[in-house]
Amino acid sequence: MADVALSGSALNQPRLARRMGGDAGIAWLLALPAILAYLAMILLPLLAVLALAFTDYEFGARSFHWIGLANFADMLSDRTFAASIRNTVIYCLFVAPLSIGIALGLAVLIEAGSRGKALYRAVFFLPVVSLTVAMATAWQYLLHPSIGPVNALLRMVGAGTPNWLGSSDWVIVSLGFIGVWENVGFNLVLFLAGLTAIPRELYAASEIDGARSGWSKFWLVTWPMLGPTMLFVIIITMTRSIRVFDTVQTLTQGGPNNASEVLLRTIYQEGFHYFKFGYSAAITLVFLVIVLGLMLIQTRLIDRRVHYG
Amino acid sequence: MQTRPLINDLPRLALLSLAALVVLAPYIWMVAVSVKPQDEVFKASLSLIPQKWALIENYGKVLKTIPIWTYIVNGLIVCFGILFFQVLFAVPAAYALAKLNFRGRELVFGFVMLGLLIPYQTTALPLYLGIHQLGLLNSYTALIAPFTCSVFAIFLFRQFFRAIPDDLINAARIDGMGEFSIVWRVIVPNAVPAATAFAIFSVVAHWNDLFWPLIVIQKGDLYTPAMGILAFRSVEAGEDYGALMAAALLVTAPLVLAFLFAQRRFIEGITMTGLKG
Amino acid sequence: MSGIVIEGVQKSFGMTSVLRGVSLTVAHDEFLSLVGPSGCGKTTLLRIIAGLEAVSAGTVQIAGREVTALRAADRDVAMVFQNYALYPHLTVRQNIGVPLVMRRLSAVERIPVVGRLLPGVATKRCQISADVVTAAEMLGIGALLERKPAQLSGGQRQRVALGRAIVRHPHAFLMDEPLSNLDAALRVTTRAEIVALHRRVGASTVYVTHDQSEAMTMSDRVAVMMDGQILQVGTPEAIYTNPQDLRVASFIGSPSINTFAAEIGPDGEVMIGSVSSGLGSTGTGPAILAIRPENIAPAETGIAARVDHLEYLGESLLVHARLLEGDELVICRLPPEARQQLRRGEMIRLRPDPAKALLFDGAGRRRPAQVRIRDVVHG
Repeated sequence: MADVALSGSALNQPRLARRMGGDAGIAWLLALPAILAYLAMILLPLLAVLALAFTDYEFGARSFHWIGLANFADMLSDRTFAASIRNTVIYCLFVAPLSIGIALGLAVLIEAGSRGKALYRAVFFLPVVSLTVAMATAWQYLLHPSIGPVNALLRMVGAGTPNWLGSSDWVIVSLGFIGVWENVGFNLVLFLAGLTAIPRELYAASEIDGARSGWSKFWLVTWPMLGPTMLFVIIITMTRSIRVFDTVQTLTQGGPNNASEVLLRTIYQEGFHYFKFGYSAAITLVFLVIVLGLMLIQTRLIDRRVHYG
Repeated sequence: MQTRPLINDLPRLALLSLAALVVLAPYIWMVAVSVKPQDEVFKASLSLIPQKWALIENYGKVLKTIPIWTYIVNGLIVCFGILFFQVLFAVPAAYALAKLNFRGRELVFGFVMLGLLIPYQTTALPLYLGIHQLGLLNSYTALIAPFTCSVFAIFLFRQFFRAIPDDLINAARIDGMGEFSIVWRVIVPNAVPAATAFAIFSVVAHWNDLFWPLIVIQKGDLYTPAMGILAFRSVEAGEDYGALMAAALLVTAPLVLAFLFAQRRFIEGITMTGLKG
Repeated sequence: MSGIVIEGVQKSFGMTSVLRGVSLTVAHDEFLSLVGPSGCGKTTLLRIIAGLEAVSAGTVQIAGREVTALRAADRDVAMVFQNYALYPHLTVRQNIGVPLVMRRLSAVERIPVVGRLLPGVATKRCQISADVVTAAEMLGIGALLERKPAQLSGGQRQRVALGRAIVRHPHAFLMDEPLSNLDAALRVTTRAEIVALHRRVGASTVYVTHDQSEAMTMSDRVAVMMDGQILQVGTPEAIYTNPQDLRVASFIGSPSINTFAAEIGPDGEVMIGSVSSGLGSTGTGPAILAIRPENIAPAETGIAARVDHLEYLGESLLVHARLLEGDELVICRLPPEARQQLRRGEMIRLRPDPAKALLFDGAGRRRPAQVRIRDVVHG
């Protein structure tokens, strides 16, 4: 996990019994295929996006102009982009807390007993390995305004039957619910790993110290000991949910009336539908900056809090 | 820990089962609807068992209208093609980064860390331009090439290789192996656990990907499973949920079945590599 | 105030029975060690006293109160864990304070920030803080109060764990191998400190260890456990010189006690092979004679053996010898000067001191025996 990822970087490089000279050439040779692929598939395209963002290039055009920050200025008055940012933020703020809270609750419940551990874990994890487009289609049927079982159920209890994916009031909530459904299993497994890493003796000690209820043990031991895991889960969930695309593209195509337009779809739409590569690249940069910002928060906080144990 | 009596455990199990039911709901209905005839689907009843079975009808329609096997084979070719190149490129590079001393190693590793921070969607526009220039749109190359360099694989394998004792490598050198044979004869066999975890992560990610195939593929015979469903939905099936669910089930099944057979490995693989999501 | 009383405690996990009817009384003020090989059930017994494990049968009383059905939190015991079990996210001050906070403040009063605004909470917190400082000063960790466990050495962590135990003056202290994670030198000095601490705070203490030297040096009484049963409870001297069970005799003492297959003749004489041991007993049949290494020495007459190996320890000499009959190994502890007189491979005759010899029956139970001077002369 990330802790491992970050700790291993600069510390104690293995000392080698090296032969004279030879290593460097062979090392570069071994790394060459990866380096070439990296240059062609990651570094150069990244630089190209950086450059494109400051041009008015359109796909198929013979020429382009450097237009400075004009693309970014356009964003400020672009209502689709505004909707896209707003919806993405709402989506993240809906999906992250709910999927994390539910996952934590379920993880504690699973860990509290010995029955059914593997079964429940597998069931909750199932959405992570399922083809999103196909499952979105299944959700579309479940949420269908007239023939869907969800509304059939609501009709039975006499509640209202919203047009889940078709009304601009409900569409983000519905997509958010599907997002929660998709992410709970992933977070759950991370929490389970965090929970099993808590030494049993701490619970025994807390009991001796006078923590009578599960509630006080949770706040005295479980919650603080999950701190690093929690932080990791929050960032992972945010970076996963900011990249929402498949469900939106499958179910609503950003509609109705931009009510479910999200960042990645806007990039896709501007770039590959309207072929406005310059503008799309500029939005891509905004997306990248947000993702990098989240990563930065994570490294900062993990550095500060990792000294447990 | 002691197992407590079943009766005291019931509230916990009930709560978990309720949550499990919600999670399973789309799967349950997917299976149910895929065997229902259209008129029953439109009756909006909550019953799961069809009065008249339409299994042959629905699945027959899928197989007749879209080349679903082609899509699944495409998906397999793309996923394993990507995986093959990722491992082929990443293993030697990770070995060099983990076990060889050379000038510029820190720099190379710095770029690997940088790559970890970049979501692949960021580079889509220039990659599309390049692939278009080379006339490679609508090809397996277009689907596979952009993912051949997995910085994540390099990073993961490097961490793993660092744990392999230097003495093992030194022994191999004394036994007369060159660095290339060391990589493929000593390192790779020892990297199987990391490779399995990464393979599962990679296959799941690319089997489920929609963004990139949507960009580079327009021709139906190169559709991946995800695109196939999308196409079947919008063009052929419309509101025929029976056939749609049958198609969805067929393309979801391979990975879900693999997961059910090896769930521990899947969960380890995907969460251990969760860094990249 | 009657300390801890355990009666007929049994414990089984599934089919395996871990404790098979254990009864034990620990007086108020007493320091009692539970010693035994790993897996003998001593830690389970400790956890049962603590309330972390439920009994399958039997009762536990602490300070005259039946606590068998009570949870750990309600038993008024403190425990020091093998790995200390400090809360890694709390400072030393907070760690030591936890038992007081959990007991003196209600759930509402414990809520961070908001709880402090409630009436009376500030006073209580103040008192807790003072108690924590007192406990920390007593242990010499007053300067470490703001550190977190990860910033402490093993010895310091151990003291924090002790601090958390003594801070609330419980009826009983339970310690689960608290020294096993310290290095050898620190372990020896800490032994004395724990004993001194016990004298100052004076409550029933049950100390679990697999290290017999800890048990012997620290305790008022020692309880030797094996296979889920207490074999013998007594002062360290009683356990060493007067064991009632061969397993106790073999477990306590290093090097181990020597044992000889013996036979009680028709006249009550205890014979080792053809040699008289100088010991007499009632009854007849096979028996086992056990003798500590320091109570057997070369003599003019005795059991024939060949010197196998000499171990010079400075203050004494250990002679490993093999009996000519039966090839069994015997170890004698001699004064170091004996080194000059003995060579490897030399034939010697070993004579146990009949006054110190212990006689056991075939099942390992102690048998009465008395010294017969006649036999010594006889050879």
